[in-house]
Amino acid sequence: MRRSPSAEAGAASATQRTAAGRRSGIGRLVPRRPILGDLRLGRRLGWVIPVLIVLVTAIVVYNARAISQQRGSALVVSVAARQRALVERYTKDVLLVVDGFQADPEESAEDVREPVDVLLDGGSVRAPGGGGARVEIPPARDWRVRRKLEQDRHLIDELIRTGDRLLDGGRADPRYAAELTRLRVLSAQLSSVSNDAAQEITQQTEASISRLVRIEIALALLSALAALALGLLLRRAGAEQAAQFRSLVNNSSDLITVLAPDGTITYQSPSVERMLGRRAADLDGTALGDLVHPDDRHEVNIALTKLAEVPGATASFGCRLQHEDGSWRHVESVCTNLADDPRVHGLVLNIRDVTEQAALRKSIGELYHDLARRSQGLVDRQLELIEELERDEADPDRLEELVRIDHLATRMRRNAENLIVLSGVEQHRRWSEPVPLRDVVEAALAELKEYSRVHVAPIDDLRLSGQAASDVAHLLAELIENATSFSPPATKVQISGDPAGTGYVLEIEDRGIGMSDAELIEANRRLAAPLAADIAVSRMMGFHVVGRLASRYGIKVQLRHSWYGGVAALVLLPAVLLPSAGERPAVAPPMSAGGAVLPDPLLPAEIAAPDWQQRAYLPLRRHATPTPDRGEGSR
Amino acid sequence: MAWTRSRRRWAWGLALALMLASLALVVFLTAERRYEPAPLGTPVNVRLEDFKVQRDMAVVPAGNVSFRILNQGPTTHEVIVVRTDRAPDKLPLQRDGLTVDEEARGVELLDEVGGLDIDDRHTLVLRMAPGNYVLYCNFEGHYLGGMYAALTVR
Repeated sequence: MRRSPSAEAGAASATQRTAAGRRSGIGRLVPRRPILGDLRLGRRLGWVIPVLIVLVTAIVVYNARAISQQRGSALVVSVAARQRALVERYTKDVLLVVDGFQADPEESAEDVREPVDVLLDGGSVRAPGGGGARVEIPPARDWRVRRKLEQDRHLIDELIRTGDRLLDGGRADPRYAAELTRLRVLSAQLSSVSNDAAQEITQQTEASISRLVRIEIALALLSALAALALGLLLRRAGAEQAAQFRSLVNNSSDLITVLAPDGTITYQSPSVERMLGRRAADLDGTALGDLVHPDDRHEVNIALTKLAEVPGATASFGCRLQHEDGSWRHVESVCTNLADDPRVHGLVLNIRDVTEQAALRKSIGELYHDLARRSQGLVDRQLELIEELERDEADPDRLEELVRIDHLATRMRRNAENLIVLSGVEQHRRWSEPVPLRDVVEAALAELKEYSRVHVAPIDDLRLSGQAASDVAHLLAELIENATSFSPPATKVQISGDPAGTGYVLEIEDRGIGMSDAELIEANRRLAAPLAADIAVSRMMGFHVVGRLASRYGIKVQLRHSWYGGVAALVLLPAVLLPSAGERPAVAPPMSAGGAVLPDPLLPAEIAAPDWQQRAYLPLRRHATPTPDRGEGSR
Repeated sequence: MAWTRSRRRWAWGLALALMLASLALVVFLTAERRYEPAPLGTPVNVRLEDFKVQRDMAVVPAGNVSFRILNQGPTTHEVIVVRTDRAPDKLPLQRDGLTVDEEARGVELLDEVGGLDIDDRHTLVLRMAPGNYVLYCNFEGHYLGGMYAALTVR
C-alpha cells in the first residue's frame, strides 16, 4: 500500500509521541529494574502472590495460636493459683477435726489433688470462677513446669499422709507437735511451689507470646516486602500493558473512535493521521458527521441513532470519510454501544479503510459490465439474424432447429444480463409508461426454452411501472427457469397472481424435487441479503440476481415448500410499482430487503445508485416451439 | 550498564543472603545470653535443690569467696548469706513461724541472690571476714524444710 507524505509524517510523529510517552509517562515513574529483568512479569507475579498468601496465612495462624495460648494460659494460671487456697483449706480441715470440730478433710484432700493432676496430665477441672462449670485444660508440656508440678504432687501426697497421721493420732499422739509443724511446713512449701509453678506458667506464656509476636513482626515485615514487590510488579505490568495497548492503538491501521451520545468525538486514536491525514487532537470535540460524505450522513445518523438506543449492541455500516486533502476514503465501521461502561461512556467505532477494496470492486464491476455488454450486443445481433432466418424458413425441421438456437442465444443474453446485474450497473432497456403485468409475465416466459410447460393462471389486469418492468421480467424469468429446470419435464409449472395488502403477489410453483429446509433457509437468506460478487455468487447466481433485482424496487421474494412436493416462489410486488391506469408511478428508492435505505457500501455511489432517468425498453420476444432441454439453475 | 544474566543471579543471591543475615541478627539479638564472670577469690560450689543447700566446702579462708550457685530445683529458690553465731537450724523466725527473721539480733545479712529458677546459675562474690555463716533459702517453709547450710570462714 502506498502511503502519502502526510501519512508518513503522521506515523513518524505518532512513533515519536509513543517513545516520548515511554520516557515521560508511567515508564519513567517505574524504571526498569534490571535485577528483576530476567524473569517475565507473569512468572514474578506467579511466585510473589503465593509467597504473600503463605505469609499472610502464617500471620493469621500465629495470631490465632497466640490468642488461644494466652486464653488457655490464663486459665491454667488461675487453676494453679487456686492450689494454694485448697492446701490451706485442707490444713484447716485437718486441724478442725483434730480439735474436735466438724470438717471433711478427705473431700478437701481430693480437691487438692485434682488441679495438679489435671495440670500435669490434662483433663477437666472445676472452673476457677465457680458455679460448678468444668473447663478442659491441656497437659503441661514445658519440662520446667512439669518438674514443678510433679514436686507439687509429691508434696501434696506428703501433706495428706501427714494429715492422716495427725487425724489418726490426735492431740494425744506424742508426735503431735512435730507432725503439726510438719503439716504447716509442707503447707507453706506447697504454697511456695504452687506459686512458683504458676509463675513459671506465666513466664512461659509470656515468653511464648513474645516469641509469637516476634515471628509475627518478622512475617509482617516480609509480607510488607512481598506486598511492595507485588505492588511494584503489578504497577509495572499495568504500565507495560498500557504501553502495549497504546502501541497497538497507535500503530493499528484501523481507527478507534469513541463518540459521545451527541455524536461528538471524545477519543480518536492517533492512526487517524495515517488514514485521514488529520491530527487526533484536532478531532477531539468535533462531530463525526462533519467528516462523513453528505450522501452517507443520513445513513450513518440512522445507524448510530438506532445503536445508541440499545446499550451493548453492535452494528456495522459503511460510509465515506473526508481526507484532509479533500479526497474521500471508503470505510467500514463496526460500532459498539458502551455507553453503560463507565470507563468508556460512549459509542466505540472500529473503522477500517476499504477504499482500495471499493476501487477494486468498482473496476471488477466495470469489467463485468463491459464484457457482459459486449457479449449482450453480440447475442442481440445473433438473435436478430436468427429471427430473420426464422422468418424466411419454410422447412419445419429447419425452423425447429433455428428455434433451439434462438433459445440458446436468449439464455446467453440473460447470462450476460445477469453479469450486468451483479456488476451493479443498471441496464438501460426501460419502458417509460406502465406495462401490463401479464405482458411482463409473458416477456419472462419468452426468455425460456420450456415456456410451454408453464401454465399461467388468470392474472389481474394490473399495470407495472415501466421503469421496473424489464428487471421484474428478468427476475420472473430466473425464477420460472429455476422451476422448470428442477422439475420433471412432464410436470407443469404454475404461475398465479393474487392481490395482497401491500401489493400484488405472483406465485411460481413447481412439482419438482424440492429443497431441504436448510437449502430453503440459505436460499431465502441470499434472496433477502444479496452479497457482493464472489465465488459463492457464481454457485447460486440465479438467487443472487433475483435478490439484487428485488432489492432495487423493494420487491420481496420468498421460497417455501410446495404442497405438490416442489418449491413455491412468492414474489410480492409493492403497491408503489403498480400504479393505476394513467398514473405515473413514483420512483421507488433502492431498498434493502428489510426496507432500510442501504446502498452497497463497498461500491462507489456512481455505481451503487441507479440512474433512474435513463431507461430503455425491454424487447418482448416470444417463440412458438418449445424444446426439451434443461438449462442452468440455482438449485 | 546492562545487567547480564549472571549479574542478576548474583544480585538475587546477595539479596537472599542479606535477608537471611538480617533474620539471624534479629534472632541473635533477641535470644537470651548467659555468661559467667571469672570467679574471684575462693570458689565454693553451692547446689540448691528441694529443700537442701549443699556446698563442697564447709570451711574457707577469709577474703574473697566466690559462691558458684546452681539451682537444681525443681522449685525456684533464693540464697541468703548471714553471719551468725547461732546454730544453722536455730535462726530466729518471723511471727509467721515459717520464715527467718533476717533483721533479728545476732543475725547479720551479708548478701542474697533471689529468684533462681531451675538450672539457673549465679556467682556471688563476697569479702568474708573470719566467722560463722549460714546460707539458706527463706521462701515459706523452705528453711524449716531443711534448706540451709553452715559455712565457717577462718
